[in-house]
Amino acid sequence: MTDKAKENNKSLTADAFSVKSRLKNSVVTPPPAAGAFKANPLVKQTSFRKFYNRGDLPIALEHDTKGNKIAWKVEIEKLDYHHYLPMFFDGLRETKHPYGFFARQGVHDMLEHGGNKITSVIPQLIIPIKKALELREAKVLCTTLKVLQHLVVSADLVGEALVPYYRQILPVLNIFISMNCNLGDGIDYGQQRRENVGTLIQETLEAFETYGGQDAFINIKYMVPTYESCRLN
Amino acid sequence: MSAASVIPEPKSMTRAKKWSDEVEEAYRFQVAGYKGEAEYTALKGLEVERWPDSGYIKKLTRKDGNFYYYNKDRECPDKDVHQIKIYSYN
Repeated sequence: MTDKAKENNKSLTADAFSVKSRLKNSVVTPPPAAGAFKANPLVKQTSFRKFYNRGDLPIALEHDTKGNKIAWKVEIEKLDYHHYLPMFFDGLRETKHPYGFFARQGVHDMLEHGGNKITSVIPQLIIPIKKALELREAKVLCTTLKVLQHLVVSADLVGEALVPYYRQILPVLNIFISMNCNLGDGIDYGQQRRENVGTLIQETLEAFETYGGQDAFINIKYMVPTYESCRLN
Repeated sequence: MSAASVIPEPKSMTRAKKWSDEVEEAYRFQVAGYKGEAEYTALKGLEVERWPDSGYIKKLTRKDGNFYYYNKDRECPDKDVHQIKIYSYN
């Protein structure tokens, strides 16, 4: 083989659709990963963390308790839900201790004891929920999905009040709904710890449908086409 | 008469072996720092708030004035059952 022929055989990497890519010896590089499943770690400090550090939250900051409880300085019934509930929901993005724990437990207590006060706060909760889901981190996803399941049963009409916001909440659920690996005879320990994202999403959508009234299913189906009703059929 | 003298003193104490409603009740008081309902009502002079369906304790005021809130369902984990003290006053 002559030197000229050798030179012609040298392959040339080129981006797809570029002028270079049309040369005979060019090798077109594959497209970059879209990154649909890629986690976006928390970069900016959450406002929950800021308020916690500043001592603005009505909770007693104890670092020595063994339990899974938080001590409230003010009775929950007297709290302004419009102010505090979105603040605690904002903390759902946190994975770092103690912020994550206080946010989770705070949301849990407020939902458990809020009653009818929760329904009117729903519009303010959508942005924190969306931000938490957008991180696409398994740990944050699990926490948020469990909170959503608790939210729909926390008071009457909450499920129905969420229906107009499915467009904000469900796209990320649609991406991860199939994240339920078949391990053959292997054991997925996440199952017993309730950390399997696919299963949690299925449970959440079923809760949405059950408590969302008659329009819920069609709205869910619009955003998550692979979802099948748990009530119809 | 000071409040401390009114607090009933238990006569005996046993450790719980198995979970029951009584153990759950004692667990909730002991998480908040009280021996039981007798001590709580004597110290705080408050009625205990309970969940309407299950009858479990809903809310307690701790000795330092902070509030603890409890779930509708069982809270006491199996691993903590043996630590619960059941006081008897007779």
